[in-house]
Amino acid sequence: MSIIQLTDVTKDYPLGKTTVHAVKGVTFEIIEGDFISIAGPSGSGKSTILNLIGCIDTPTEGMVTINGETTSGLKDREITRLRHNVLGFIFQSFNLIPVLNVFENIEFPLLLGEERMGKKEKGEWIDYLVEEVGLTEWKKHRPNELSGGQRQRVAIARALATRPQIVLADEPTANLDSTTGESIIELMKKINREMNTTFIFSTHDMSIIHIADHIIQLRDGLIISEERREIPVS
Amino acid sequence: MKIFIIALRNVNRQKKRSFLLGGAIAFGIMIVTLINGFAGSFMENVADNFSQLFAGHIFIEGVEKTEEGKSIALVRDETILLETVREEGIPVQYINKRSAFGGTVFFQGKSVQQQVVGISWDEEEFLKDRLHLVDGGFENMELKKGIILSQNVAAKLKVEINDTIDIRLRTVFGQLNVGDFVVAAISYDPGLFGSISAYANLEYVNELLTLAPWEYQTLGLFLDDIRLMDVEVQRLYQALGEKVELFERKETVEENPFMAMMRQGEEEEWEGIRYRLFTLNDFLKELEQIVITLNIASVVILLVLLVIIMVGITNTFRMIMYERIKEIGTMRALGMQQGGVKSIFLLEALFLSLGGAITGLFTAGIIMFGLSKIYWGLGTPLSLLMKNGYLTFSIQTGQALMYVIIVALFTLAAAYIPTRKAAKMKPVEALYNIGTFRR
Ligand SMILES: Nc1ncnc2c1ncn2[C@@H]1O[C@H](COP(=O)(O)OP(=O)(O)O)[C@@H](O)[C@H]1O
Ligand SMILES: [Mg+2]
Repeated sequence: MSIIQLTDVTKDYPLGKTTVHAVKGVTFEIIEGDFISIAGPSGSGKSTILNLIGCIDTPTEGMVTINGETTSGLKDREITRLRHNVLGFIFQSFNLIPVLNVFENIEFPLLLGEERMGKKEKGEWIDYLVEEVGLTEWKKHRPNELSGGQRQRVAIARALATRPQIVLADEPTANLDSTTGESIIELMKKINREMNTTFIFSTHDMSIIHIADHIIQLRDGLIISEERREIPVS
Repeated sequence: MKIFIIALRNVNRQKKRSFLLGGAIAFGIMIVTLINGFAGSFMENVADNFSQLFAGHIFIEGVEKTEEGKSIALVRDETILLETVREEGIPVQYINKRSAFGGTVFFQGKSVQQQVVGISWDEEEFLKDRLHLVDGGFENMELKKGIILSQNVAAKLKVEINDTIDIRLRTVFGQLNVGDFVVAAISYDPGLFGSISAYANLEYVNELLTLAPWEYQTLGLFLDDIRLMDVEVQRLYQALGEKVELFERKETVEENPFMAMMRQGEEEEWEGIRYRLFTLNDFLKELEQIVITLNIASVVILLVLLVIIMVGITNTFRMIMYERIKEIGTMRALGMQQGGVKSIFLLEALFLSLGGAITGLFTAGIIMFGLSKIYWGLGTPLSLLMKNGYLTFSIQTGQALMYVIIVALFTLAAAYIPTRKAAKMKPVEALYNIGTFRR
C-alpha cells in the first residue's frame, strides 16, 4: 500500500538574484514498511526531498501526498499535527534537547500530542525503546555525556516514541564513523522489520545503501535510478 | 509539566547571563522596595515623634472671651471634656495638660524669641525618652524654675547649665510679665522644623501666665494607636459639639483645620467659652508631600528599570533564539505547535523575572532588617524620621506584589517579540538556520 507519493515535485530556492533548482521534477512512491535509501552526492537534493516528505518544507510545484492526503493545502497547525502523528525524525547532527536526559528526550514527542498515555504505560513504553536501542544504562544521562553513536540511538528511540508510520533520517550516519554508522542503519532496519515502520534515510555513502530494500539515486535534483530489492509484505 | 522543567533548566543554561539579567531585575526591585519601605513608615515615625514632643494626637484647647472682648486661652473646667472622652470610649493612653507662651529670653544683654511649654513632668515621663539632652539632666527640673533650652538657643545666648535667664512674656490677660528661669538642661535641636520649644514646669508657667495651678491651656490625648486619630477626632467632635461650643473643624485647600479655627477665633463674633479640637495630622499633612515625592521617585525608578529590563530581555531573547534556533526547529519538526514554542520561552522569561523580583524583595527585606537593627542615635537630624533612633520600614504586600507582577508582565512582553518571531519560522528554516536569525 502506498504511504507516500511524490508527483512532479520541484523545489526552487532563491539565492541572491538567481534561483537554485534543488529538485527538478521528481515522481516516486513509497509503500508502507519500506526501508528506503535516498542516495546521491552532496547537493543532489536529498535533504530537500526529505524535508518535503517530512512536511517541514513545501514544494515549489507538484504534490506530496501522505496517506492519500495532499500536504500543500494544510494549515501550519494541521501540518504540525500530521508531523507529530505520522512522522518521526532523525537528524544528521542528532538534534537532541540538551537539557533533557535520554529518557526525557525520548519522552519529549509524547508531551506534544493531544492524546495522553497513562504514566505507567508511558514509562514502560519508553523503557522498552531505551532497551531497544541499547541505552538502558544511560537512561539518566544528558546528551553531552554520550558518544555520537549513542546520541543517534537516542534520536532513533525518540523518532519512534509516537509510533509513527514513517521515520525520516537525513544522513543519519554522516557524523559517525563507518562502523557505528552501519550499526545505526542496521538498528533502523531491525526496527523496520519488528514494527513495520517505514524508514527513509538519505546518504551520500555508497557503502551503506546495500542495507536498504529500495534505493533511489539522485543527481542534480533528478532521479537517475530506482531499484527495489524486496517488496515488504503488508 | 515537562515544559516547566525545560524552561527552568533553560534558565540555568547560560548561568552568567541569567545571573546578570536576573540580578539587574533584583537590584531594581530591591531599590524600589527600600524606598517604598522607608516612605511607608516615614509618616508614621514623624507623626509618632511629634506626638511625643507635642504630647498627644488629639488636642483640645479652650478659648474664653473676656468682658473686654479679649480672647484668652485656657481650660478652666476640664470635667466636661474628660467626661466626654470617657463616655465616648476614646482609646486614650495618656492625657496630658500643658500651657505655653511665646516670650523673649534675655541673658547678659542677648535676647532670643522662644516658645516655652509648661509640662507636668511626673505625667509626661515619655518626653524624657524623646528629648535628647546634650548637657544637664532631667533631675534638674525638680527645681520649680528649671528650664530646658534647645542647643541653638543656648548657643545664641551663650548660657550654661545653672545660669539664670529672664523671660519676658504676656499673661493670658495680655499684661507684661517677667519670669526668671534656671537652665536645667540643653536639648539636641534637629533643626529640621524650625527651633524646638523650651520646656519648663507647668506649675511655674501657669503662675507666669496668671492661671490657677489646676488650670492649663491644652489638653493632649495620646491615643492607643496613632492611626486612629482621624477617626477619633471626628467622633469626639460630634460628641463634644453637643455639650460645648466648638470652633468649626473644616479643611480647605489653603487651610488646615487648625488654621481655620484660629481665623474663626479672630473673625467671628462670639461670646463665652469655645473649644478648638485639632490633631497632629492637621499640621503634618504638609509633610505628606515628602512621602508623595518618595513614592514618585520609586515609580520613576521602576519605569527606568522596566525600560532597562525591556531592552535587556529583548536582546537576550533575540540571542537565545539565535543560539537555540536549531532546537526550536527540532521541536517544531517533532510536532510542537507554535504556541508550544512560545510557552517554553515565555516561561523561561517568567522564571527569570520572578526569580529576579523575588530575590530583589528578599534582599530588600534582609537589608531593611539589618538597617533596622542599627542604632543611629537620637542626636541626628534624621532621628525625627526614626523610631527611637532606629530606622523602620513598612512594606505593603499589595504594592510589592504589584511590582513583581508589573516586572513579570514587562518581561513577558519584551520576550514575546523575538519568541513569536522564532515560533513563526518555517521549521526547515529554523532547523537549518536559514534567514531570520542568521547573523
Ligand atoms: N535554503 C537554501 N537556499 C538556497 N539553496 C539551497 C538551500 N537549501 C539547499 N540549497 C541548494 O539546493 C541544492 C540541494 O541541496 P540539498 O537538498 O541540501 O542537497 P543534499 O542534501 O543532497 O546535499 C544544493 O545545491 C543546495 O546548495
Ligand atoms: Mg543534505
